Amino acid sequence: MQLNTQHLLKAVLIGLFTLFFANLHLTGDIAKYINPKYDFMSKLAVGIFFILFMIQLPRIFQGKRTHHVCSVHCSHSHDHGHGHWNFAKIIGFAIVAFPLITGFTIPPATLDSSIAANKGSILSQISSGQKEEKSFEESLMENSESLTEKENIDIYSSDHIPLVNNNYLTEGELKEKERWLQDSEIIDMSEDIFISYYSRINENPEAFAGRTIKLSGFVFKEGEFAVNQLVLSRFFITHCVADASVIGFLTEFEGADQLQQDSWLEIEGVLAVGNYDGYELPIVKVTSWDVINEPNEPYIFPIQTLVQ
Amino acid sequence: MQSKLKISTQFLVVFMLGISISIMFMVPIFSSSDVFTLPKSFNQFNTIFLSILIEAIPFVLIGVLIAGFIQIFITEDHIRAFIPKNKILAVFMGCFVGSLFPACECGIVPIVRRLIEKGVPLYAGIGFLLTGPLINPIVILSTYMAFGNDLEMALYRMGVGFVAAVAIALVVSFLYKSNQLKRMNKNQNAFLKEGKRQLIGTRVSEMFKHSIDEFFDMSKYLILGAFVAALLQTYVSMQFLFLFGDGLIHSTIVMMALAYFLSLCSEADAFIGASFKNIFPSTSILAFLVYGPMIDLKNTIMLLSVFKAKFVFVLFMLITSIVFTFVYLTSFL
Repeated sequence: MQLNTQHLLKAVLIGLFTLFFANLHLTGDIAKYINPKYDFMSKLAVGIFFILFMIQLPRIFQGKRTHHVCSVHCSHSHDHGHGHWNFAKIIGFAIVAFPLITGFTIPPATLDSSIAANKGSILSQISSGQKEEKSFEESLMENSESLTEKENIDIYSSDHIPLVNNNYLTEGELKEKERWLQDSEIIDMSEDIFISYYSRINENPEAFAGRTIKLSGFVFKEGEFAVNQLVLSRFFITHCVADASVIGFLTEFEGADQLQQDSWLEIEGVLAVGNYDGYELPIVKVTSWDVINEPNEPYIFPIQTLVQ
Repeated sequence: MQSKLKISTQFLVVFMLGISISIMFMVPIFSSSDVFTLPKSFNQFNTIFLSILIEAIPFVLIGVLIAGFIQIFITEDHIRAFIPKNKILAVFMGCFVGSLFPACECGIVPIVRRLIEKGVPLYAGIGFLLTGPLINPIVILSTYMAFGNDLEMALYRMGVGFVAAVAIALVVSFLYKSNQLKRMNKNQNAFLKEGKRQLIGTRVSEMFKHSIDEFFDMSKYLILGAFVAALLQTYVSMQFLFLFGDGLIHSTIVMMALAYFLSLCSEADAFIGASFKNIFPSTSILAFLVYGPMIDLKNTIMLLSVFKAKFVFVLFMLITSIVFTFVYLTSFL
């Protein structure tokens, strides 16, 4: 019996991949990397990796001479681990090992304002954008409205809101939340409904002017803000952290300049229509605020409705 | 000399194993102390890097399993019977099968390599490569929803994408006679004869072994691609893209560059595309939606592992120019 070091290394790496993916689910860290709606795919990965690991185990003791059946005929565009070690192979294994090493040693971080600055917030996009494009957006809105009437689709559940997600709300719950948006004394931007309320308010800032709003987010300052202004932001994640986009409200209050980037705040304030670079947008005139710890669910995910 | 080298590499392997095992034990120590402090931006980079991998690896696993299946169970005869002799028909066939096949742009690379090795003509394989990630139910549904339940953008995406893929594959069919693979199977026929004699159990376990080796082969390039894409997101401001000025041509180029460098999965990119609808005309967003699934940074690196570099470069230029032209033409509709 001869130890095949390349197959041994492959077995170890596959084993570590199995543990890495399983560990993400056991610790719940998965939500720090991807939208939990992809739970299923990464759970499937655990299963496939485990099968591959079991298949790989006996190959560790497969000597260089005793070829497996395939080696007679499949000459190779890939490496079956019979060759000698060379520099390229070592580099190859090092590359595969790299994400495992960083994945096990470095805890996942929450995206912060440095990433937001690279992506550019809503405000900077507005200021570099052209206003004529509003007609395009309006036409989209009209389309979706007429579609709603025609097919009797609940516009709030589907408009701007993608497929499946673990952010489940029944249709009834969602309707109720929508009613709160219209009637309640305070608009409470909780994580589960954030994106829905956010898009409603941004579509029509005038309609919500004067209403009280309560939300939490991280401090993000960019560009030429007045001293009393900052954007209270969240990252909106569709699929994985790499596709995050920044959403948030421009807020105004005394002492905004004292606050550090990335500190988390919970604020209450009154909505007003503001103007940024000639573009109308909602502004929150803050009446009270608190510094809070980063919440367990820092990211906003799309909403999924349960249709009975 | 030879044996010395062998010993030292064996030592290296044991050394690497030792490191990975010790890492497992040191995780709790590291995470609870301040000894191990990296710059904050590295943590941000690492999170984005890993998230791309966590998102992509399940799809790559499925891709290598399918590739392993093709390697062991599909013979050249099957493929010969299936693919039309006529070049143009074969291109349409490739694009059509790709449209039915739900894949993502990293999972499809090993499948295409295996198909071409089995005798699928290059142009049909390229058609399949281009439409596979672009046209499938999940992508269409997510596009429909991302654009506020508007079917128009999803239809344009499918239509323009399909026509562009056919055009690209046709040009490839006239430019290249050989299969452009880096390395080629020489003993396929030997496999055919032997393959039939093997028991089903042996063949299934062979399939998994192929998948394992293919996984290590492919994941290196996926990891490199994810690494570069995450570096760009962490350290380069996307604002520089907006410096090129206004105009349809400019904004289309900007959106295509964005699609290339962000290397998003085709199932998620519609929402990112939609977030630009206040800034850019719909034509430019269409370019983003069609171009990204066909080619992007991480997928280029994977293609380089399969095809000759020169061919990848020509393919990149073809995809870029043809998608740009076709999308631009839609603005006159």
